[in-house]
Parts: sequence; structure tokens; C-alpha cells
Amino acid sequence: MGVHIFGIRHHGPGCARSLQAALAALRPDVLLIEGPPDAQEVLPLLRHETLKPPVALLVYPPEAPHRAAFYPFAVFSPEWQALRFAGEHDIPARFMDLPQWHRLAMKEDDGEKEPSSPVDQSAPPTANGVPVAEPSEEAGEPALQDDPLGMLAVAAGYRDHELWWEHQIEQRQDPTGLFQGIMEAMTELRARARPLREDEALREAYMRQTIRAAEQEGFERIAVVCGAWHAPVLADLSTAGEDAALLKGLPKTKVAATWVPWTYSRLSYRSGYGAGVTSPGWYDHLWTSPDRAAVRWATHAARLLRAEDLDASAASVIETVRLAEALAALRELPMPGLAELHEAVRTVLCGGDATPMRLIRDRLEIGDRLGEVPAETPAVPLQKDLEAQQKRLRLKPTTEIQNLDLDLRKENERARSRLLYRLRLLNIPWGEPQRVSGKAAGTFHELWRLQWQVEFAVSIIEAAVWGNTVESAAAAAVCGQADTANELPALTELLDGAILADLPPAVGHVLDRLQTQAAVAADVRHLMEALPPLARVARYGDVRGTRTDQVLPVLNGLFERIIVGLPGACGSLDDEAAARMVAGIGHVQESLNLLDDAGRRGEWQQVLGQLLDGDGIHGLVRGWSCRLLLEQRVIDGDELHRRARLSLSPAVPALQAGAWIEGLLRGSGLVLLHEDALWAALDRWLADLSAETFVELVPLLRRAFAGFQAPERRAMAEKVKTLGDGLRTRKPAAGGESTVIINRERADLVLPVLAHVLDAGRGI
Amino acid sequence: VSKGKTPRTAPAAVPADGNGDGILRRHAEQEFAEELAELAKVDDKPKPPNWKLSPWAARTYLLGGKLDNGFEVTPKYVGNARLIEIAVATLATDRALLLYGLPGTAKSWVSEHLAAAIAGDSALLIQGTAGTDETALRYGWNYARLLAEGPSLNALVPSPMMRAMRTGKLARVEELTRIGSDVQDTLITILSEKTLPIPELDTEVQAQRGFNVIATANNRDKGVNELSSALLRRFNTVVLPVPETLDDEVQIVDRRVNQLGRALQLPAEKPALEEIRRVVTVFRELRDGVTVDGKTKLKSPSGTLSTAEAISVVNNGMAVAGYYGDGVLRAADLAAGITGTIVKDPVQDRVVWLEYLQTVVKDRDGWKDLYRACREVV
Repeated sequence: MGVHIFGIRHHGPGCARSLQAALAALRPDVLLIEGPPDAQEVLPLLRHETLKPPVALLVYPPEAPHRAAFYPFAVFSPEWQALRFAGEHDIPARFMDLPQWHRLAMKEDDGEKEPSSPVDQSAPPTANGVPVAEPSEEAGEPALQDDPLGMLAVAAGYRDHELWWEHQIEQRQDPTGLFQGIMEAMTELRARARPLREDEALREAYMRQTIRAAEQEGFERIAVVCGAWHAPVLADLSTAGEDAALLKGLPKTKVAATWVPWTYSRLSYRSGYGAGVTSPGWYDHLWTSPDRAAVRWATHAARLLRAEDLDASAASVIETVRLAEALAALRELPMPGLAELHEAVRTVLCGGDATPMRLIRDRLEIGDRLGEVPAETPAVPLQKDLEAQQKRLRLKPTTEIQNLDLDLRKENERARSRLLYRLRLLNIPWGEPQRVSGKAAGTFHELWRLQWQVEFAVSIIEAAVWGNTVESAAAAAVCGQADTANELPALTELLDGAILADLPPAVGHVLDRLQTQAAVAADVRHLMEALPPLARVARYGDVRGTRTDQVLPVLNGLFERIIVGLPGACGSLDDEAAARMVAGIGHVQESLNLLDDAGRRGEWQQVLGQLLDGDGIHGLVRGWSCRLLLEQRVIDGDELHRRARLSLSPAVPALQAGAWIEGLLRGSGLVLLHEDALWAALDRWLADLSAETFVELVPLLRRAFAGFQAPERRAMAEKVKTLGDGLRTRKPAAGGESTVIINRERADLVLPVLAHVLDAGRGI
Repeated sequence: VSKGKTPRTAPAAVPADGNGDGILRRHAEQEFAEELAELAKVDDKPKPPNWKLSPWAARTYLLGGKLDNGFEVTPKYVGNARLIEIAVATLATDRALLLYGLPGTAKSWVSEHLAAAIAGDSALLIQGTAGTDETALRYGWNYARLLAEGPSLNALVPSPMMRAMRTGKLARVEELTRIGSDVQDTLITILSEKTLPIPELDTEVQAQRGFNVIATANNRDKGVNELSSALLRRFNTVVLPVPETLDDEVQIVDRRVNQLGRALQLPAEKPALEEIRRVVTVFRELRDGVTVDGKTKLKSPSGTLSTAEAISVVNNGMAVAGYYGDGVLRAADLAAGITGTIVKDPVQDRVVWLEYLQTVVKDRDGWKDLYRACREVV
């Protein structure tokens, strides 16, 4: 019989190597590979030299691209090597799995829920039907079928199947008899497994049918590459009738296929991809440098550490390898595996420290390789989704600059804004939001400046890694960035972006991250800066309807931490830091004004009170606290008077005194004008000064007022003048108006408008 | 004499002056002589030169297990077995071993048992202190002899290190980071050249095969002498972690508190497990920087918050409850102890502790009393 079955594990480098040898020996005239026949038409691209793994085959229904199935391939995947073999030897390669045009249609019929979270997009249950790690769809104990190798591994005394498989199969130096062995083990397991799920049965029936078809076409040496689990049942081809009956009348839908670039981090379990491997980087290493793998690995690790300025000498590398080998001997293994090397690197190179190991894990064990696809590859679904949205929203991409004025109260325009913001998150800055000027513009107004750039086409392909629709991709991108961002400002920026782009799941995720990072954030200033955007959302909701109950817990957490941390953070600041701190305190005050919560306000005022009295706190901060408390009527004019004297008394260094008064008079001059108590207190203080002290303090006062605009200063002077009258004479300041200096020229300019407003007919 | 039935009071290495009953604490190789002998009997794996047991048997001795002849070996170290494997493998590759970790994570315990299993002798011990000088690591002189007979090997007083080198055994250095840096560096030659020069006699002691060093060091103490990178490079470092689960730790604390309470004859009742659990939870959460449910991140204080400190807090609370309270351990009796243990640095730690109280303790069901009691103290 001319059918040769090779049961493999997907992404197993040892399997790939054995398969390579076996294929070279067999010289088949056709290759049948477990994979989607839907992708047959993009297979020729394999010969293209710019197609570099890791890449994934993407099969999706064009009208619902989010329901796609991915079939990732790494250079060490046996399927990839089989395809390469077919290409090099010019023999036909065919995919033989149940096509997605049936499977997607079946799911449609079942009314299966679409994955609700866009983050899970990369883990469709149909991806690469791998028996060893297929996610269990039923709850409960992992059954034999879910993890058959796991059962074998446990029987052999291993903790997990990965390790067992690695020791038994991937590290095997001599491939002879490997596939025979796998076949026997699987036959035994299949004999005891519970009955197949229906879709499994269908898939295997289809595979058998494909093999039969190849036989009928007259191929003589048929090589079949499939997951180990399927191997035994593909050998028996006597059930043609039953298979045909089973496959009869399957629903069918239209699908498209293409190649997309993939990354090693998406191949790993960490990103939730069911058929992944924990350490693609390690497998890549095993594949590319099979001899002296341990030595090379330890050297790589040392170089990586050195690049990060950590000590890693060549002598340590030697000791690392020795320890790994001793560990392997102690554990009775033929050669050190990843676990032994991991432990040895940590013990010798990292001095037992777990922190540098994260670097090794991310950069070496998982790896950061990104695949490439040729330009001729059919468009990715993300592109199609974008085109569909552009058409629906009547936004045409042109390279000319367009200006767009959006009213967010209209559904269609809101959708446009959403799309533009989402694209920005995907690093496709088609639209540039413009600052809305003028008071007429409320929160429901947005100005955009649109310009399509040709290189966005590339950005779209890159963004396709994140998802297949603009929405899901943007959400996944935000979540991905949030996971790596450790600074609060970066996270608040992401949060802003996610809220604007209306991505509720991403908002939730970023909020979680924000809460986590807030807990370890050492810088109170960052906490304070993060507060206003959250407060705005909490107070007004948002035109876009962000749910505020998600925000409040985070807001509370931030606030509590600010309250606890602020007094300590205000000590020993230099001028620059004090200015930033004062800005931060302003942010908190602004947020509290928005939230209008008496409890929080009370706590906050208490903290401000502490700042007021604190020794070693910069004058600017104390002055500003004083002002805020005065505005909230926590301290009155008399108290302010006392404090002004205290803070500006001759014993206080002039610079601190100056800073205090600068803090007190900070902000908008117009607001300041209405604080009568402040002026009265300052006035009393000034009046109390002796002539000499006054002369000394004049420069400080000048400096404090220097920041205001000339008109503001004039208005203040006016205020002081009338204030003085009032205080001295105890009479209402009657003469105030008469002294207003009117700039006639300017006044004349206003008159026509006034006339128009009041009554157009009257003239001037 | 059948070793299998020998009672524990009649091991091979009993001090000459009697049956050893009066000794407060016996060395590991005396206490577990029977287990070591049984292991040696069934041990047929290859042994590195001068090792009493093979690496496999040494691992079984530390981690416990059942031998082929049915003999049960008690576990000496409960925790991650892989760490012990790394430690044994390190010694087998002739590299020195540094056991690193918080106080109270069984570093010295592991070191003693490794020495007992591998060299059959855990007594070649150098205690590191700020006052440890070079003679403790190299050799000293018997001055009477030196004056009477002149410099000779007879006038030399060998250190435990030198004796270990001569006999091919394991030397143990406790609290390595407490030894001054200049003295620490004495180890560099010993570890890399495996020789100890004696320039006064123009000779040297070359280490026999099997010689190695196990050092322990504390990674939380401040003001200690950090190891130079030259020295650190000669060690393989194994970090021993704190107890893995909350339940493990609660058990350890509970057992120790009861033992200590009895020894000190505290009048309070045995504390409820619930109260111990709360203390351990607080310590674990602050130590790990995350709540037990894994949902909230926290800042960690500067102190260690080891299991040993949890024990002392509960003990202290029992004393307060017994002498000043109603004899039942309550939150108020614990508050001062907990706060004092956590707030070691009056500024930073206080912020951490307050933040923890506000964000975690305040809202936790049934913890109101603890919150109020602690807020009163802070």
C-alpha cells in the first residue's frame, strides 16, 4: 500500500527533523497535510522568498472576518517542513482537513456565539486541531481525549506532557522507528478513548476521503502528515461508504484565505492560543542549532544579559552548562532540557535572582521573531473590514487633506469619530484630531484633519496581527500595549484613547492595569495626573456612554493613595518639582470639584491642612494649599492674615516667602479678583509691615505678580484701590467706576456689535 | 546489631561522655544516623569522590521517600524539590553553593543536612559575624607552641575550612554577608585554586577531592557586606523561598506558637486559628505585594515579615491578652505588635501600612475590628 502516515505534534522540532529524514527516505509523489483545503490557492506563495515564518494561514468568511481561523506555522513546525519539502521536490502538497467552508458554516448553523472579547480572537477553538493541547470544551476533569499525551506522560511519571514529549520525542537523536512508535502509542490510546465528538469524526472522515481521492488519482507513495492523535484512524481506509454518508449534505459558506505574519509570542500559551507551545524560542533554537544546544543556549542567555548591562562572563557560561548537565544527570535525562537550562541560568548567571529571568523568558524562551509575507498576499480581513466601514460611513481615503467637523450627537458622525480613533490606536493616523477652539464647542464637537498616506497599507498588514476587524484589532492593540506599559501617564493616555475609540473591553482592561500600577506607583504626581480624566468620565459619563461604575473603584483607589502619599511626597522639593507638584494638586482639586463628594472633599481638605503647616514643605505648595483652602472657605480672612504674616515674616528666607506668595496668587488672575478675603488679608498684612520690611519685600511681591498679564494686573490694581477705599472709609466703593480707564480706540471697535445686539436700528 | 531496629538513642556517633541524652541539640548526622545508614545500604548509584552518598540518595535524604527495602526516609525540606536538586547538582559539579533567602527560610537547616548527607559531617562550621577574621577561614597559631618550638605545623591551629580541605569534606559558612569584605575575599583563592597557602611555613594545604563550601546569606538585611562579584561568581546561588501557600504558613505558625506558648507558660488560651490566619495573611500580602485573591497590588514595607516574625507577633499578642486582657486573643491585642513589625521605617513603611489598611483591611468582611484597632495605633 502506498499510504505512509506520519503522526506528528504540531510545532515539534524533533518531529519536524524526523519527518524531514523520513520524507527524504520515502520520496513520496504526493503530500497530504492536516490543514485547511480552503487555503490551497495561497499555497504557491510558499515558494516566494519573502514569506518567512512564523506566519499563519488565515481562513475567514469575507462577510464576517472576525470569525476567522488561524493556522500558524513556525520554521520548526513539521507541517511547514513538509510544505517546504514539497516545494523543493516539486511534488503536489494538499491540505486534507475538513475545510473551513464547512466548519464555519456548521458553526453558523449551530448559532454558536461569537467570541465576545476581541482579545480572544486569536484563540478560535478550530485553530489547528492539535490533540495534545486542544482546549477542553466541556467543563470538568480533563479527559483522555483532551490530553491523551498527558495521560501517557503521567503514566511515565512526568508532571506534564510537554516535558514528556520533549524528552521522549523532540530530543530523540535517532528518528528511526519514531513514527511507528507514535502510531502504536496512539492506537492504544484511541482504543480506550471515549467516542469522538461529531466534528472530530467529520474531520477524520474528510481526511480519509482525501487520502482515497489521492489513491484513485494514481499516486503511489502518498505521505500523510497529521496530528499524532489522528494517525491510527487514517490508516484504515475501509470505511469509504460510512465516511461519504457522514460528509453528505454539510452546509457550506464562502471563505477566503490568506497568509498573515505571526509572532512567537502569539505562538506561546501566554497569548491564549490553544495549540501553542510554551517556549517557541527554545524550539526554534533546537531546530536551528541541534548540536550543542545547551552550550549555545547558555551563550545566548549570557549575551542577552550582557546587552542589558548585567554581568555574565564566559566562565559563568561554562558553569551554567556544567550545572545543567549535572541536573540532567541527576534527573536521569539524556541531555539538559529547557527546565534544566532555565534553572542553571538562574542559579549561575543570574545569581538566583528571578528578575533577569523574565528577560530570558521573553526574549529567549519565547522569542520576539516576527514573520513576513510577500506583498502579493491577498488582502487581510482587517483591510476589508476597514474598506467596508469607509464605504458605510462615506469616508473616502484620499491623499488630499480634508477637514471634518463631527457632531457626536449624531450616530453616523459618532461612528466616524470612533473609526478614526480606533485607527489611531492601530498606528494608522489617518485623522489628526484638531483642538476645538471657541466656547461654542462642547464635548460633542470634534474637528478632524484627514489625510490618507500610502504607507498605511503596510500599517494595516502589521495591525492585522491584532485582529480581523478594526474594532477587535484596536481593542487587542490597546490591551497589548497596556500590558507592557508600566507608567501611569502612558496608561491614562491609553485609557483616554480607548474611551474615545469606544472599546469597552479594552477600557476595562486598561482600568485593571491602571489599578494595579497605581498600587505600586511610587510617584504621587503620576497618580494625581491620572485623576482628572477619570473624574471627568465618572462625573459626566461621556457622550459615548462609557460606564462610570467601572471607573469609580479605580478613582477611589487612586484618591486613597494620593491622600496617604501626598504629605510625604511634598517634602524637600526644589523649585521645579514644587511647580509640578502644585500642578498635580491642582489636578486633584479640579477632579474633586467635578465629583462633588463631601467625604472625599473633607479628607482632601485635611491633607491640604497638613501641607499648610508642614515643615520643610516648599513655599509654593504651602501657598497654593492656603489658596485652595481659602477658596473652599475652610480658612477665613483672619486665618489667612495670620498665615500671611507667619509665612512672610522676616525670619523666613526671602525665596521661600516669595514662593509662598507666588503659590497663593497662582492661577487665573480673574478668579483671584473675586477672592475678597484674600485681598483684605493681604492688605492688612501689608499695612502692618514696618517701612524697612516693606522695602525688603517689594521685590518678592513684584515677582509674585509678574506672571499675570498686563490687563489682569491693571484689574488687580483697580481692585486693590477700591478695596483700600472700602476698608478705610467703611463705605461702599462708589468711585470705582469713574476711575476705569477706557481705551477709546478699542471701545469704539466693540460698539457696532453692541449696537447690533441691543437694537440694530438705533445707530451710535 | 540490626540497624533497622536500633533505637534512636543508640546511634554510631555518640559523644564519649555518655549516651548523649543531656545534649540539647544533636547534629543532623547523629539525629538521622539511621536514615543515613539505610540510604547508604541501598545506594548503588555512582558517587563523586569522597561522597558518603550518591547525589540521588542525598536528594532522597533531604526530600524524603520510601526506599526499595521499605524504609521510610522523613522529608527534611518541604518545598520545591527542584531547588534541592539544583543544590545537590551544584555540589556535584564542584562549585560552591550559596543558599540565599529571607531569615527563617530553612537555609541553615538545608546546609546542615546537605553536609550530613554528602560528607557525613555537618560540624565543620564557620559562623559569620562582623568579627570573623581571617584565622577563622584559614588558620591560627598556638602561640605557646609557636614561642617554644618555633613555626611548625604543630603550632598551627587549623580552621574548620582547613580541616574540610584536608579531609575532602564540606565546610559550612553561615551568614556569609556578615563577614567583612576583606575576610570574605579569602574564600576566592580557596574556591578557585582549591588550595590554602601557608607562607609562614612555605607550604600549603591542597584540598582533597570532595571538598566544597556551602554558604548561607540573608538577602533582606541592610548594612551587610555585599559579596564582591568576584566571589559571587564562584558560587551557584539558590534562593530559598518563603512557604508557598497560606495554609502551609498558618500551620507552621500555629505549631510554633503552641510550642513557644507552652514553654513560656503564657496564661492565654491557645489562639484561634482564625486570628493566626489573619496575621499570616497580612504578612503574606504585604510581603508578596499582592492580596491573596491576587486582585489588588500592594506596596511592600522595608521589613522582612518572615514567618518567624508572624510567630512572635502572635506570641506577643497572647502575652498581652493573657496579662492585660481577658485571656482570649483579639484584634486589639495584636494591633500594636503587627504595626510595630511592619512599620520599621517611620515614613515609608507607615505610608505602606496606611495604604494597606485603607485599601484592603477596611473593606474586608469581618476585619473591621482589626482595622479599627490598627488605625488607633497608627
